[in-house]
Amino acid sequence: MGRFKTNKPSVGPNAAGEAELVDAVRRRDRQAFARLYGVYYPRLHGYLRRILPNTVIAEEIVDDVMFVVWKDAHKFRGQSAVSSWIFGIAYRKAMTAIRKEKRYHAPLDHSVDADRMPAAAPADVDLIYKGLEQLSSDHRQVVELTYFCGFSYREIAEIARCPVNTVKTRMFHARRRLRYLLPILEGATEDRNHDLG
Amino acid sequence: MTSAEAMSHRDAVELLPWLVNDSLQPDECGRVMQHAQSCVVCRRELEEMARIRDMIGVAADAVPIPELDMRSINARIDALIEKQTRSRQIANAIREFFGEPWRMAFAVQTIVLLTLGTMVFWPEVEPQGFRTLTTNTEELPSGHFVRVVFDADGPQSDVDRLVRSLGLVVIDGPSEHGVYTLGFANPVTAGDRDTVVERLAGDPIVLFAQPVSVGAIQ
Repeated sequence: MGRFKTNKPSVGPNAAGEAELVDAVRRRDRQAFARLYGVYYPRLHGYLRRILPNTVIAEEIVDDVMFVVWKDAHKFRGQSAVSSWIFGIAYRKAMTAIRKEKRYHAPLDHSVDADRMPAAAPADVDLIYKGLEQLSSDHRQVVELTYFCGFSYREIAEIARCPVNTVKTRMFHARRRLRYLLPILEGATEDRNHDLG
Repeated sequence: MTSAEAMSHRDAVELLPWLVNDSLQPDECGRVMQHAQSCVVCRRELEEMARIRDMIGVAADAVPIPELDMRSINARIDALIEKQTRSRQIANAIREFFGEPWRMAFAVQTIVLLTLGTMVFWPEVEPQGFRTLTTNTEELPSGHFVRVVFDADGPQSDVDRLVRSLGLVVIDGPSEHGVYTLGFANPVTAGDRDTVVERLAGDPIVLFAQPVSVGAIQ
């Protein structure tokens, strides 16, 4: 079984280094904060950009999340990994934004959000986005945190503040839905390509 | 590996996504792999999940990350630090001013007099009743109830099925905050009600479940 690159920092030296950075941020070290921001910006941006309606909201929330990290660094006691803590903040802010926007089930609209996908996106990219957009917000979050961000189910339970079994159940429903949707979406894509060809 | 340590099919299937993303603990990983070697269903699921993983890997690379720009966050932090500094300066100034005991006594006396004066000369303001998210409990008849918030993204048919399967009926809701008040189709004890609340809380379409009892019942 091959591995693939994830956004998640590996457990070990990175995790210890990040805990030291948070410690420094607690002491109001701006340089440490800038380093922590640099480490988490691409991960948070990638995660939020995929689940939120547009770039502007995603970037605002990245800033909101890191502002909370600055303000509440004293509340982090090492009871979880730094990544789980930070992504937990991002998860809750994203869910609030999703509920507020109520556009979660909107079909992919390239005219509204043209920079979400490159001009010549592989068919699989389009397919997986369409499939993921059909999932409920809770189910999609578990898929995103697992496959895009590489978190374990225990870490996702910490992030989402729910029991481990709830994480597994949500993933079960998400997989079942994707298993149902992807062949249908694939067929629809082939029909469209056939008509255009 | 003994049969006592062997993982059940159900447990293995649940953990497959985290086997694929390489985040299982070593012992869990070993047990899932052990099971998958002898289970055709799990091997098929693994192939499907590897396909999804690969599609997601391509999708991840397709989303460009803009260049890092910390001006906005730095401005927010600067504003926060300024506000906190000002608050500390005000607190220090107050502490300095009230350093003398007679000044503190004078201030306390003034506050007490103002409070008493307000109570005597201003009309009585009726205290606001305690607001809950939904139907006042006083409006419910005696019995056991459950307050539930369902996932708004879930289909209504799932909600209906779940409510019926647990012997519940909708008494009220959804409120403006999405809260349902559910009653029991048949008389239940507090223990039965708590069991139902646990089952609700374990369902993925339920965001919140809370027991409510009205009247002197057990």
